Amino acid sequence: MVELTLQALFSGLLAGGTYATLALGLALVFGTMRIINLAHGELVLLAAYVAFEMERSAGLNPLASIPVALVVVGLTALAIYLAVSRIRTDRELNSLLLTFGVAIVLTNLILIVWSADIRSTSSGWFLEGFVIADTLFSMRSEVVFFGVGLALIAATWWWLNHSWLGRALRAVSSNRDAALLMGVNPALVEGLSFVVSGVLATFSGIAIYCATVVFPALGHNLTIKAFVITVLAGMGSVPGVLIGAILIGMGESLTATFAKPSLQELTAMVVFLLILFLRPRGLFGRR
Amino acid sequence: MRAAPRTPLVLAVLLLAYVAVPLAFGGQDYVMSLIIAALTIGGIAVAWALLGNLGGLVSFGHAAFFGVGAYVSALLTLDAGWPVLPAMLAGGLGAAVASVATLPALRLRGPYFALAILAYAHIFKILAVEFESVTGGAGGLLSIPGFPTVLGLELGSKVGAYCLILTIVLAWMAVYAAIRGSTWGLALRAMHDSELATRVVGVPSTHLKALMLLVSAFMTGVIGAFNAHQISFLDPDYAFSGEWTVLPIAAAIFGGYRTVWGPVIGALAVYLVDQLVFKELMPSGHQLIFGLLLGAMILWSPQGLLPLISRLGLRSGEGGDKEGKPGARA
Amino acid sequence: MLALESVSMNFGGVAALSDVTLAVAEGETLGLVGPNGAGKTTLFNLISGVFPPSSGRIAFAGRPLGRAANWKRARQGIGRTFQIPQPLHELTVRENLTVAQRFGAGKRDEARLDEILELLDLADKQHVDAAHGLALTEQKALEVGKALAVEPRLLMLDEVLGGLETSAKRAFGGTLMTVKERFGLTMIVIEHDIETIRTLCPRAVVLNFGRIIADGTPEAVFRDPEVVRSYTGDAAA
Ligand SMILES: Nc1ncnc2c1ncn2[C@@H]1O[C@H](COP(=O)(O)OP(=O)(O)OP(=O)(O)O)[C@@H](O)[C@H]1O
Ligand SMILES: [Mg+2]
Repeated sequence: MVELTLQALFSGLLAGGTYATLALGLALVFGTMRIINLAHGELVLLAAYVAFEMERSAGLNPLASIPVALVVVGLTALAIYLAVSRIRTDRELNSLLLTFGVAIVLTNLILIVWSADIRSTSSGWFLEGFVIADTLFSMRSEVVFFGVGLALIAATWWWLNHSWLGRALRAVSSNRDAALLMGVNPALVEGLSFVVSGVLATFSGIAIYCATVVFPALGHNLTIKAFVITVLAGMGSVPGVLIGAILIGMGESLTATFAKPSLQELTAMVVFLLILFLRPRGLFGRR
Repeated sequence: MRAAPRTPLVLAVLLLAYVAVPLAFGGQDYVMSLIIAALTIGGIAVAWALLGNLGGLVSFGHAAFFGVGAYVSALLTLDAGWPVLPAMLAGGLGAAVASVATLPALRLRGPYFALAILAYAHIFKILAVEFESVTGGAGGLLSIPGFPTVLGLELGSKVGAYCLILTIVLAWMAVYAAIRGSTWGLALRAMHDSELATRVVGVPSTHLKALMLLVSAFMTGVIGAFNAHQISFLDPDYAFSGEWTVLPIAAAIFGGYRTVWGPVIGALAVYLVDQLVFKELMPSGHQLIFGLLLGAMILWSPQGLLPLISRLGLRSGEGGDKEGKPGARA
Repeated sequence: MLALESVSMNFGGVAALSDVTLAVAEGETLGLVGPNGAGKTTLFNLISGVFPPSSGRIAFAGRPLGRAANWKRARQGIGRTFQIPQPLHELTVRENLTVAQRFGAGKRDEARLDEILELLDLADKQHVDAAHGLALTEQKALEVGKALAVEPRLLMLDEVLGGLETSAKRAFGGTLMTVKERFGLTMIVIEHDIETIRTLCPRAVVLNFGRIIADGTPEAVFRDPEVVRSYTGDAAA
């Protein structure tokens, strides 16, 4: 019992690393522009399929396809930004509908190009077991990308707080007009937040491709998961995203261990609704 | 009020719909199936537009109500031996009852409401899978009874099913128009931009929104029930499929969700073009066009197709900018 | 008719109202004055239920209002205007009144709406888009009209005469007196202009920094040294 619980918590913790990378991109755009990018999961999935394509046609290791994926996903994110920035009325809701449309387009493009088949990496290295303290089991990919996730979170957090651009980004998110007065161009900063979100989506997509299987409809689920974590964390808290991601990861793996795997999603959805109703600012939200 | 002097047009459309369409396509099962499917989407689109235009609420989870309506009606006929038509109404009621669970979401602001309803759709789907003893689980329900024969009209035939769904959709349009034209409709319209001002003159705005949610869920539930009896098969993936959300939204936005005809015309146009043209061109992934359409409409004409047409000058004379803004007739 | 007992309201650290106790009798016209930010509008917001008080009790027509929702208070007979006019969007002037009457008074009575429109000089504008087609004076008249359509017993007017020319002010003041007599109202009138208060209100209450600092006839109140002090530097208003 204790061992099972510990194992579940450990798996949940590792999953949380990937989830955090997944959610951070969404949370960043949400924080700067108050826009929920419903195509975020599709961006993640796109990175995974780029890795798949490079592996299939050029025999590249998934990690080696990161540069190409960065370009593809970053440009797509930029394109989404350019579309969203054209919205003039009721930006909050119209951007939701617009990115919903983009998500449908991306899902179907993926379907057309790579078919509905389930894909996974042929590089077995990632799927090999990794044992800690003789009792806690995991896959190499989970450990590697947990580390990558932590590093990305830390880097993003540092970037937001210490670099000039990061501070400009935070200024825009708290007060657009004041930022304008400070000489910060909000359009530039908002576009940048989309591109950074694309970078985070790329790493998250590669991680998911190495650890598990991908298929066209997965993007929607990823978006939902990212949004659930963002709401749980609350607006504007980077460490909150990590903690929220780990909590969701652990909640899911405990559900899978002690109830059944098919109820994982139920846990996430119920937590999501409870947070929205009882604590709409999230666990760590400002304002 | 805007739609008042249009009686001849309405009569012509009714004649066309009830007489000309069956006469022209009655023998072609495939075409009739497509039209029935388009009207199914159109019915949900009307319900979605009612909630969006009158309740001011954008939902991403109408699949939840569709699925609940389908399951309730199917189970009542299969397990409790109910006749199909009353069971369909009960399906609508079931969806309305299910929507009561979503009422706490009314306190949330726009985008949060939209996504909270989506979460409900996921939860309902999981429950449909898990309560296997009642719902048949992931395996689904087979041989759901079809429609009866009423007054000599075989509703089970393609033409009969067409007449049934046509009647339901027209009824929902009438309900939408009636609410919109009433004092309640006035209050609902005013609530979007001046909620506090409506409340201090006695309008229980939250109750009215809740009512619109219930009505919209009921309408969607009946459509779901219709679909279950028409195709006589049901499983959670199908009943709660995101398509029951995506297609109606695309249709309503395309046709214009602030008008009564818009959602249905949008559904017929979008669905039929998709099935007859794009599906032929690319057998998989053709739903791409729904996404493109949705995005393009939001960018260039969020009020729907009609204002777009008038702006392009196809309707001479009238200024385009006030179009689709009810009440602005200074 | 209306009784407030030790009512306080804090916004974060700001005490907008502190320990306000006040009674208004049936048929009275009470003037509510005080410098900017004194808490006058906040008092209306508490009475009409826009938000609940931090502490204290409010009773209307002998019954405690408790946490009754704002729309219920309208139905119980509390009508109010907004300092910044808030017409019901997307509706015409007449539709504004129709909604207020249908929901606030629970009936349809076109004759009464005609009368209100006539009294407020809005009859010509009744089919105009309320949110975009009215001049400021007309917007203020519509504020009063919406509140009247609710068929209130207590009418609370928040600076409806503010910003008007002297002659217009006098005329509209006269209209308000007519309205009060015609519908048998109790009124609370927020106004900065001392002359207006003198002509309209037999009794005036002065708020300063959320506290009542004077209560009596306008003559007595405006001679009170503390009131004079609170208004120095604010005299232009
Ligand atoms: N909703 C609110 N949230 C925060 N502070 C508020 C709110 N409403 C009022 N206040 C504060 O309470 C104080 C009193 O405001 P109130 O609007 O009641 O003043 P007033 O007497 O109506 O002034 P004026 O003559 O300018 O209309 C002010 O300091 C104001 O900033
Ligand atoms: Mg004020």
